Amino acid sequence: MLELVDLSKKFKQIYAVKNLNMFIEKGEIIGLLGPNGAGKSTAISMLTSLVEPTDGDVRFHNKSILKKPAPLRAVIGMVPQEIALYDDLTAQENLQFFGRIYRLKGAVLKKKIDEILELIGLTDRRKDVVKTFSGGMKRRLNIGVALLHDPEVIVMDEPTVGIDPQSRSYILETVKRLNAERQMTVLYTSHYMEEVEFLCDRIYIMDKGDLIASGTKEEIKRILSAEKTISIKADRFNDTFIDLLEQNPTINRVVAEEKEVTIITAKETNLFSDLIKMAEDTGIELNSVDVKTPTLEDVFLHLTGRALRD
Amino acid sequence: MIGQIIKKQLLLLWRNPMQLVLLAGLPIILIAILGTALSGMMEGGSPNINMKIGFINHGDEEKQIDQFIADMEEELPSETVESIRPAVEQWKPAAMLKDVFDNEELKEMTQFNEAQPAERDKILADDSYTAVIEIPENFTYETLENRILDKTNEPALNVSLNNGHQIGSSIVNDILHQFQEQLTLGEFLANEGIDQTVLQLDEGLVPGDKTSISQKNPVSAKDYYAVGMAVMNVLFIASTIGSIAFLERQIHVFDRVILANVSRWIYFIGTFISASIISALHLLIVYGFAWAVYGVSWPNLAAFFTVTLAFAIAVGGIAVLLTAISYRFNSEVIINFFSGIIVTLMAVLGGSFFPIGDSSPFIRMLGNLTPNGAGMSSYLKIIRGDGIVEISSHLLFLAVFALVAIIIAALSFPKRGASI
Ligand SMILES: Nc1ncnc2c1ncn2[C@@H]1O[C@H](COP(=O)(O)OP(=O)(O)OP(=O)(O)O)[C@@H](O)[C@H]1O
Ligand SMILES: [Mg+2]
Repeated sequence: MLELVDLSKKFKQIYAVKNLNMFIEKGEIIGLLGPNGAGKSTAISMLTSLVEPTDGDVRFHNKSILKKPAPLRAVIGMVPQEIALYDDLTAQENLQFFGRIYRLKGAVLKKKIDEILELIGLTDRRKDVVKTFSGGMKRRLNIGVALLHDPEVIVMDEPTVGIDPQSRSYILETVKRLNAERQMTVLYTSHYMEEVEFLCDRIYIMDKGDLIASGTKEEIKRILSAEKTISIKADRFNDTFIDLLEQNPTINRVVAEEKEVTIITAKETNLFSDLIKMAEDTGIELNSVDVKTPTLEDVFLHLTGRALRD
Repeated sequence: MIGQIIKKQLLLLWRNPMQLVLLAGLPIILIAILGTALSGMMEGGSPNINMKIGFINHGDEEKQIDQFIADMEEELPSETVESIRPAVEQWKPAAMLKDVFDNEELKEMTQFNEAQPAERDKILADDSYTAVIEIPENFTYETLENRILDKTNEPALNVSLNNGHQIGSSIVNDILHQFQEQLTLGEFLANEGIDQTVLQLDEGLVPGDKTSISQKNPVSAKDYYAVGMAVMNVLFIASTIGSIAFLERQIHVFDRVILANVSRWIYFIGTFISASIISALHLLIVYGFAWAVYGVSWPNLAAFFTVTLAFAIAVGGIAVLLTAISYRFNSEVIINFFSGIIVTLMAVLGGSFFPIGDSSPFIRMLGNLTPNGAGMSSYLKIIRGDGIVEISSHLLFLAVFALVAIIIAALSFPKRGASI
């Protein structure tokens, strides 16, 4: 239904997005994952016709929207990364204003506003100005405004940044409901693996403007099938120990934190006794050594050698 | 749709009482401060005012008096002539008028220049003169005829005031009126037993491009600063609206409007119209206060509303221009530069703080090429009694200014919305 074809965006000399290919089918929930600056927002701004690509094409039902964005705009709902609301207006006034912008009026608009307030759980705060809202409430209203015109596709740019766990799970549940009850197609960007794992059917992973992996959750996790992740815990580590790990030819990746070191190694290698010995030699007192089931976080680690978030 | 944008804009301002108070309250306070502090200066006595007064006597006063007595002797009995002779010999309106301006008290602020009739054209063309007072050839003789023989033709002085010297010309005007009143009250003549008839200053003698004293109501300090502060402060409406618009882009509200398949021109026009409406309201509020509290009143309301409308539209033009440039460069710098520096410059040039135009015709011209300066000149002219015709050049300038601002804004308004 919606396709990105070799899409690139260059700001001055750097590519924010480079040769991105992506497709979204009706009714899917697609995750777009990547760390800060990966190019997620740039990609979806091009997808929603707000930014002109340097190269490539965006196609909606096989027609380019670059010159004629109106048909796509009519059916797409956008939840920007920022809170795109008027702080000095009430929840209801915000919905009213954007509703009128979407050419709704009278009883239809009123009914729609009631319905949305119910959906985002702000019915009893409708008369309060937005600046008195908590971060989570603002995020919910930010989503609500994008639903006014009953979009077929909703694009959400990190809709859960900086909010409390309750609001976060409320939002995730709402997204699931919209998809299940209204067959709404969702593109969800995030740097939280667990959100994408919970919500999405298919996942795209970006880093520094490049697409580094894509596929269903299972396909992506299969990238790790030849490897395993071992988590080593101790009260403290030292550089000699880390150096030994890094020099070991059977270990593919090492990520050291203060009390935990994560390593990735081939599935069949048995490192257990080696690890114990290295710890003894360098005077480290180990608390535990665990083999973990791979998560998307590990996939990112595997692909880039960096954790998704610091 | 445009209505929605305007409604939202008004609602936003309404929800920001602090901003409203600042926008409307500041000029009101400034009018009070400046108007009071500087009223002394405006009503005379300050060395800051420089008036240059030209004085041309086209006749010879002594000769006219002698002639008048000689003519009377032919018609009247000699006792009668003898009884009024001392009064007639005292009657020297030209000399008295000259004394009024050429005296110690006014020395500090006036440069008095008595010129020969031959120099008349040169002096009238010289823009550095605040006023040129001309005594017609048979003025003294005719006033005597008028007073003593009750002849009906009332002689008149020719007074040319330089409109550009706003304060100076209103001072000259005041002095002339006082002079006339004193003559009328007969302080000069009553003792001498001469009939008191009005010495009329003619109302319709307007030489060259200068305006005659006739239409003038004096502009008080409060009037001056009410206008000065109103036209300056309304410029901040443009930057306020520009800032709101830029914020709308930053927080992606503008993107939402674009995604709703609403043309960016709708948004553009909505911004322009709401800025104009808010500017007009702002002017009306400030002038309303000035009227209620300081008694600043408008002899010609139609002209007043016309200027207010034209000026508000020009400010609307500035608002969309600021919006468009900030959108284009994705930066608020231009708006802050405008409200921080350009407004002050424009206010000084336009004469909001002091009548800077009096110092040089070039600066006055520059001042009238700022929208606030053109607005200010128009408002002051209306207070002095002018009508729409006399301010039409300023109105035309305001309209052209608004149009140019809108065109430049439209050309620089970016096609796509998003800033990432
Ligand atoms: N208008 C712009 N001008 C110049 N560079 C830009 C602009 N917008 C984005 N970039 C750059 O493009 C890159 C990608 O930015 P983008 O906002 O798309 O990342 P993101 O994945 O959304 O990151 P985040 O998770 O922080 O939101 C960054 O390096 C950013 O600095
Ligand atoms: Mg982003």
